[in-house]
Amino acid sequence: MSKILIVEDDDALRETLEIGLRSNGFDVCQAATGLEAIPVFEKHKPDLILLDLMLPGKNGIEICHEIRKTSGVPIIMLTARTDDTDMIRGLEAGADDYVTKPYKIEVLVSRIKARLRPIKQVQHTVIKLGPVELDTLSHEVLKNGKKVSLTPLEFKLLLTLASHPNEVFSREMLLEQVWEYTYKADTRLVNVHVQRLRSKIEEDQEDPKLVLTVRGWGYKAGPE
Amino acid sequence: MFISRIFKAALGRFRSSLQLRALAYTVVLSGSALVLLGGVLSFSIGNGLFSTRTEQAIIESNRASYAVSRIFMNVSGSDQKQLNDALEEVVPELESIGVSQSRQVAFLYSTGDNNPLQLKSPKSITLDDSLITNEFRRKVHYSKNIQSQTIQIDRAGEAIPAILIGQKFTVPGGSKYELYLVYDMHNEQQTLGFVQRTLVLGGFVTLIIIGFFSFLVTSWLVRPVRDAAEVSELIAAGEIDRRLPVRGSDVIAVLATSFNHMADSLQEKIKAMGQLSTMQQRFVSDVSHELRTPLTTMKLTADYLYSQKENFEDMSKRSAEIMRSQVDRFDKLLSDLLEISKYDAAGVKPQYEIQDLNGILGTSLESIQQFADSKQVYLDVEIPSGAVQCEVDITRIERILNNLLTNAIEHSEGKPIKVRVGQNDSAVAVSVTDQGIGMNEAELEQAFERFWRADPSRKRTTGGTGLGLAISIEDAQLHNGLLEVTAAPNLGACFRLTLPKRQDLAMGESPLPLKLGSES
Repeated sequence: MSKILIVEDDDALRETLEIGLRSNGFDVCQAATGLEAIPVFEKHKPDLILLDLMLPGKNGIEICHEIRKTSGVPIIMLTARTDDTDMIRGLEAGADDYVTKPYKIEVLVSRIKARLRPIKQVQHTVIKLGPVELDTLSHEVLKNGKKVSLTPLEFKLLLTLASHPNEVFSREMLLEQVWEYTYKADTRLVNVHVQRLRSKIEEDQEDPKLVLTVRGWGYKAGPE
Repeated sequence: MFISRIFKAALGRFRSSLQLRALAYTVVLSGSALVLLGGVLSFSIGNGLFSTRTEQAIIESNRASYAVSRIFMNVSGSDQKQLNDALEEVVPELESIGVSQSRQVAFLYSTGDNNPLQLKSPKSITLDDSLITNEFRRKVHYSKNIQSQTIQIDRAGEAIPAILIGQKFTVPGGSKYELYLVYDMHNEQQTLGFVQRTLVLGGFVTLIIIGFFSFLVTSWLVRPVRDAAEVSELIAAGEIDRRLPVRGSDVIAVLATSFNHMADSLQEKIKAMGQLSTMQQRFVSDVSHELRTPLTTMKLTADYLYSQKENFEDMSKRSAEIMRSQVDRFDKLLSDLLEISKYDAAGVKPQYEIQDLNGILGTSLESIQQFADSKQVYLDVEIPSGAVQCEVDITRIERILNNLLTNAIEHSEGKPIKVRVGQNDSAVAVSVTDQGIGMNEAELEQAFERFWRADPSRKRTTGGTGLGLAISIEDAQLHNGLLEVTAAPNLGACFRLTLPKRQDLAMGESPLPLKLGSES
């Protein structure tokens, strides 16, 4: 049973979320303030975090930053639609996805399931992309022989692109294949995560050689 | 045509240039003053010349009278031959004396008296005796004093003013004579002409000097006004920090000071408005967050109860259903309200991308198909082959299309709906035409107003918020596009969205007509 950490300061909403998630078969732990979030995370080791952005004590973006220092655990932000800039900052801080309030429990559950679903097992190979090597079984990524820590989502994004080098993926295709959106979603998710991925594997983020932008179309893995 | 165009252009220039106008008025007014002054001067100089000449002529004619007396001094009045000889002498004698270069003389026997001696009436050969009118002769005859009259004489075809002097004279023997002398005023005429020419020339030179100086003065005066105009333009163009330089303490400096003062208070007002707008946006954002959290809770709870409704008895079951639908409606209303208040706070930032309008319409049609089927409405779609590319914020255009399609299906009364896409060089368009209940003119005017519904008594089947079209028209205007409608009662309505192909291009004509009927 997957364990979900709910970081939400509104008691009623937190409780309702708990009911909703439990009735959908998840185990739940909770944090009511920003300050509680990290200790609860370290104590319960949840499989996924639902993170409200506006929190007393410590805001969601700071929490995101802190968790990403040690863990690639999937993080889904819960945002009010008007916090557009906060939402982008949250994604830049390492959140994988976001759900806009007010949401339906079905939507939330499908987002959670998409993030918890393990990457489809393929034959064990090592994919090489310039100086970067991806191990498809251990999910280890080496750059010039040194380990690079990617979140599962970042790994999935890189794997998707690198499995078909020089093939152009539109943002919509990536949303479907990496984020498992079956309907239209925010393409900025892709933009932000490509940036994060580049910051980890590229020599020069401003002049990418591995994950290339195809203007007007989308992205592709580099020439090698 | 050509001249009138030049005239119009000159008139336009004249109207638009304050300096030109000031210059023209100064020149015209000082010109009139000069003409008046010249006229008065010329008149009084002419008068002076004339009266001097007349006085001189009278003195001379006294002298002439004396000379004539001398001729007749030793003449016997009874000897006709002697008298006639003396008479012959009069004209040459008088023509030779006097300062005037040329004077004409006539020594005429008085009319009316009988002349038994048959005496002559000698006169200068050049004198035209018709100049001495009978009227004037009578005047001389009955008066004791010297008489004078202004006349015109003809010299070599040129009319010259002259003075005619007449006086009575009695020759020995008692015969009455009249002595007439004609002094021409050729010299005076020339002097006057010279004076007048000098006046005209002087007048012109003065006028040019006045024009030049008034040009200098007006440019000096107009420049601050022009500066003020330029600075106001710059301020209007957004350079709110621009101010006028203040020099000295004259009225221009006062103008500059008050102008700057106005700009200062304007700038403060704008700043205050800006702060207000920021506060409003902040407020909207806060309200949104505050409302969204309890709404999310309500929604989750309502959904949970709804999912459990099979376990409830009938009344509770129905309550769960109603609660869920109303929470959804509340949700939609809140998001529409937030959207429109974002527009009011000018806080909308569109994300433009090149998109295919056919594709966007396809997505909308797909999402609306179920609703159309439930209403048994046939959607007749006519799109051009190939992509209809345009630079749009796709979510907003999709929202407009969803809105237009939902409205059309709602109001179509089961009749088919025509959906068309069109494009030309500069614009793309979508039109949605239904054949339903339509709208009358008063309703048509209100169609885009907030919370307005075509028929308040009708059942709100879809639970629309009443903000759909109000948001749609804002969305269209955001794209520099147009959302237009035409309708007639019971014939249906046609909504047409026209958008520029690129955001940096002018839109021009819509590629689709805005008219009712399925044939359109």
